[in-house]
Amino acid sequence: MVARRKAMAAGLLLTLALAACSSGGSSQSSSASGSGGPSGSPAVDLNAKTVGPNGEASTSVADIPALTSDEIAQIKSKHYKAALLWAGAGTWYNAASAGAKDAFAELGITVVATTEANFDPARQATDVETAMALKPDIIITLPVDPVAGKEAYKPAVDAGVKLLFIDNGINGYTAGKEYVSVVTGDHFNMGKTAADLMAKAIGDSGSIGYIFHDATFYVTNNRDRYFKAAIEQLHPNIKIVASQGFTEEGKTQELASAMIAQHPDIKGIYVAWSAAAQGVIAAIREAGRKDIKVVAYDLDATNDVDMAKCGNMYGVALDQPYLEGQTLARLGAAALLGKSAPPFVTVPVKTETRDNIEQIWQDDVHAAPPPEATAALKKPCA
Amino acid sequence: MAAKRPWEAIRRALLGGRLSNYVVYLGFVVVLVFFSIALSDKGFLTPQNLGNIARQTAMVSIMAVGMTFALSAGEIDLSIGSVVALAAMVVAVLLRGDGNPVIAVSSGLGVGIAIGLVNGLLTTKVRIPSFLVTLGMMGIVTGLARAITDLEPVPITNDAYSFVFGSGDVGPVPVLVIWTAVFVLIGHVVYRQTPFGRRVLATGGNRTAARFSGIRTDRIKIATLVISASTAAIAGMLYAGRLQGARYTLGENDLITVIAATAIGGTSLFGGRGSVVGALVGSLIMGMLNNGLILMGLSVSEQIIARGVIIIVTVALSLREARS
Repeated sequence: MVARRKAMAAGLLLTLALAACSSGGSSQSSSASGSGGPSGSPAVDLNAKTVGPNGEASTSVADIPALTSDEIAQIKSKHYKAALLWAGAGTWYNAASAGAKDAFAELGITVVATTEANFDPARQATDVETAMALKPDIIITLPVDPVAGKEAYKPAVDAGVKLLFIDNGINGYTAGKEYVSVVTGDHFNMGKTAADLMAKAIGDSGSIGYIFHDATFYVTNNRDRYFKAAIEQLHPNIKIVASQGFTEEGKTQELASAMIAQHPDIKGIYVAWSAAAQGVIAAIREAGRKDIKVVAYDLDATNDVDMAKCGNMYGVALDQPYLEGQTLARLGAAALLGKSAPPFVTVPVKTETRDNIEQIWQDDVHAAPPPEATAALKKPCA
Repeated sequence: MAAKRPWEAIRRALLGGRLSNYVVYLGFVVVLVFFSIALSDKGFLTPQNLGNIARQTAMVSIMAVGMTFALSAGEIDLSIGSVVALAAMVVAVLLRGDGNPVIAVSSGLGVGIAIGLVNGLLTTKVRIPSFLVTLGMMGIVTGLARAITDLEPVPITNDAYSFVFGSGDVGPVPVLVIWTAVFVLIGHVVYRQTPFGRRVLATGGNRTAARFSGIRTDRIKIATLVISASTAAIAGMLYAGRLQGARYTLGENDLITVIAATAIGGTSLFGGRGSVVGALVGSLIMGMLNNGLILMGLSVSEQIIARGVIIIVTVALSLREARS
């Protein structure tokens, strides 16, 4: 018994020791010169235009011709049905839903189902099957998994439903065949724009922390990669001194407090999206550091209030979810008339800082900002 | 047989043969010493970092106190993560505008008490196992937390609330540490020094015997599930204060951490044995692991694996000791 207990104690120590050893390797990757980002950044070309998941060239949303009044009348007369099958939920999804629903309403198309897969590919496959029971003519969806999606969306493809993707595509699907089009943000530019925001926030010099999404996801990987490359190539006086990945939004607080403890000199922290920034802001606040600025992506009521209160949240780069939803709906309707669509459409990047919070909410979410933000904006920053 | 070996004799002399009660403290010291050495140049032992750990573990520690009561009475509460989210959302919504903090806080706590009461009544009166009752309740409460603002996060701008519930410091001591200390202290005294605590253990240890000795075991079980859900509601309010806002995802990953912390702390998953202070130490071990593995620069996957291994090893040691 004693021997076995000793063996177990030794096992515990061994585990901890192994953990320590492996840290030797990865702590290097999270050092200044680090490649500690998703899929590294071997010579990212900052002038490249965002390409689709299968390398499709992008078309700007502005270049898509509007539907004529004849076409609209034709669509209206058919009383089509649509389904919205989302991967997750929150402000961004609500805005995309609103854009799609408003556009569908103008075209006399009824939304018969809205689902949310909680980022579970199996759940999404079920959602597709369930939605198919309602015989939609159009499905707008954010695929959770580009690989598993090939099978998941098969019932819709087989039934000839017009399938439109936001953000992610499906491996092995061809535009014009299985699906109509992918609409998404201009990821490369979003990353670059976030880097510019960071530069503005900290006076284009100093140390920063980099908190990236540690999972394979087309949008976040692109944005993270381009942010890092833009900092390295365009802002030589800014150094990424700490780099950490996360998969659960709730964990960013621990990451950020560890970063601040280890690198008290950091002036800014980049984090892969807005909801994940809330923990970062809490960590900075607790460290009593009013000077550390945070840059992320997408609108978020809580962080926007912090921004309005002249807190740590400096700004976000954002795509325009309402416009994306609207565009998908219109492309879907056009496809029902037999019109072809560009395979990969991007909407331009915007930035939100304290100066334009109200405008951005109006334009991109089609909703008023949180009242707490409006109230805080009336008081000037100290 | 084993008692003849010298180590066994020393152990009996020192600890009265009940090392299981101390394994968690030993584990705490091992983890602490290990990280102090391995991370000596990476700021693990700085007051700032230790303060981070204390703050980060506060909510889990408080919930682990509640879970200790539920488990000791032979029940389990899977709904705590969802109660965290709902209580946080309710408080944040009621604080909007010029919301009255007293009403908001009472309502948040009320959420916990009400859910605990329903869990308890369904478990004892309708005789559905608490595992299933609280599993179902988790779904209901999660759905409510999502529906209450249609998934939108709610900011909190009431500075007094944020100070008391999470963000503040009293002198050098973070408010969260005070909350933890108060809950652990009260929990420990109630658990060890009061008739109620003894009845909880008796109910979980041998319900039939407990009933024959005049304990109203149904009431005890209901009370422990109310305690458990209430600590979750408090944790939710603390999250909301700390983050200065609530969102429906709060607490969604806490259940497993709380159960792990409680089990590492020497509380049996089958009732009749437990320790409130052990649960606190278990929670601190989990917190140190999180923090230390991050400071080491491990990737997320490596962190998850290392945590899993350490949980199994610690619980295995504690259970072996309990059996021997």
